[in-house]
Amino acid sequence: MRNLFAFIYRFRAFLVFVLLEVLCVFMIVHYNTYQGAAFFNSANKYIGEVLEFQSGITDYFRLTNVNSTLARENAVLRQELLQYRKAALIDSASTLDTTFFANTDTLKQRPFILHAGRVINNSVRRTNNTLTLAIGTEDGVEPGMGVIASNGVVGRIKTVSKNYSTATSLLHSQMLISAKIKKNNTFGTIKWTGGDYRTALLDYVPLHIEPAKGDTIVTSGYNTVFPEGIMVGTISSIAKEPDRSFYTIRVKLAVDFAQLSYVYVVENTQKEEREELEQNAGILPDED
Amino acid sequence: MKTSIGLNNILQFILFVALQIMLMDNLVLYGTGFCYIYVAFLLFLPININRLLLLFLGFLVGFTVDIFYDTMGIHAAASVLLAFLRPLLLNLLTPRDGYDISDSVNIHVMGKGWFLTYTFTLLLIHHAAVFFLERISFDDFLQTLLKIVLSVVFTGIVMIILQLLFFSPKRTSRV
Repeated sequence: MRNLFAFIYRFRAFLVFVLLEVLCVFMIVHYNTYQGAAFFNSANKYIGEVLEFQSGITDYFRLTNVNSTLARENAVLRQELLQYRKAALIDSASTLDTTFFANTDTLKQRPFILHAGRVINNSVRRTNNTLTLAIGTEDGVEPGMGVIASNGVVGRIKTVSKNYSTATSLLHSQMLISAKIKKNNTFGTIKWTGGDYRTALLDYVPLHIEPAKGDTIVTSGYNTVFPEGIMVGTISSIAKEPDRSFYTIRVKLAVDFAQLSYVYVVENTQKEEREELEQNAGILPDED
Repeated sequence: MKTSIGLNNILQFILFVALQIMLMDNLVLYGTGFCYIYVAFLLFLPININRLLLLFLGFLVGFTVDIFYDTMGIHAAASVLLAFLRPLLLNLLTPRDGYDISDSVNIHVMGKGWFLTYTFTLLLIHHAAVFFLERISFDDFLQTLLKIVLSVVFTGIVMIILQLLFFSPKRTSRV
């Protein structure tokens, strides 16, 4: 017994080293496969406060940019509103007798709820980029929700605390987003392969399709994270490689991740119902 | 020879971690050269520091950076590895007549050759660990290798600048 203790004492540094490394590896694996309440990350209350203070300073230098983005978004929304108003003026359906009123399926579509949030921590140059947002469970954010900006897809919520949340950015080596080419509804998967933060890869588009440079890529809506038709980007280059049965398509992302200031967290009100149904039917979610 | 840490080292911890989070996070060369200056805290600790204490300090500083970077465990793992290898490397690099009482990790005291070998070897190990853990796989091997080399050079140069600016050439004044 004494020998054992002597042995442990002799190799204590090595044993502590192994113990700490095992702990680290456990944390890496655990964090990579886990969504939920935040404790030891940037959504932590105190860490969030530090980051919010920091972004409070740097935000002043981006005010012009934020303003012009918001103004542009306002213009787009106003234009859309005018179209509806015009349609309402022409449309006489509301004055028709209700018995003849055709109930279209769009009326049953329940809305997505958007929660606006300020980005207080952001990175674009690492292998695995993340965002920290200044909204949390108090504002209705939950792990797994999608994150979009006014001009396109941003990422997905990973952990939340009361007032803060962290999101996996699209610029993350393990992030996959189900997308489609808008003009012919061919779907593929968007992933980021590192390097330039303005371009990503659209994979799994079969060779019989004929995509063209400049085609718009939008989200497919095949999962509960993003609504259908959210802008992802436009095709910037197409290549056929002899050893692959899919195109290698580069996509110029619509969102400039280096300029993110405000984003929207998408809440899907029918998420539970749909996921439960798909799970019961044995369909695995499209991505995770 | 001092074996424990002083107020000086605690200040360095705060300073280097703050520098890492506030400034170096935004300072990336060509998307490949990263500066992990917080490692300087571990490298500049007293030469004869207790090995167990060093391991725990390595974990602490790595974990702190991990929290801010949202890279749970990656920097902690690399820093603990560095903390474990540091005494071994110091043994290998022992001057002919052993370390003096007044010796510390200081470019003026220990000489350029000693300092550069010490710094760049440990930085290489640390950065390799960080970038491979980040990728988890070995695909894009060349890209990762380029990142490691450029980042080691970047961090190393910043560390040398810090040494030349803030560390006095006098043998006795430093911790």
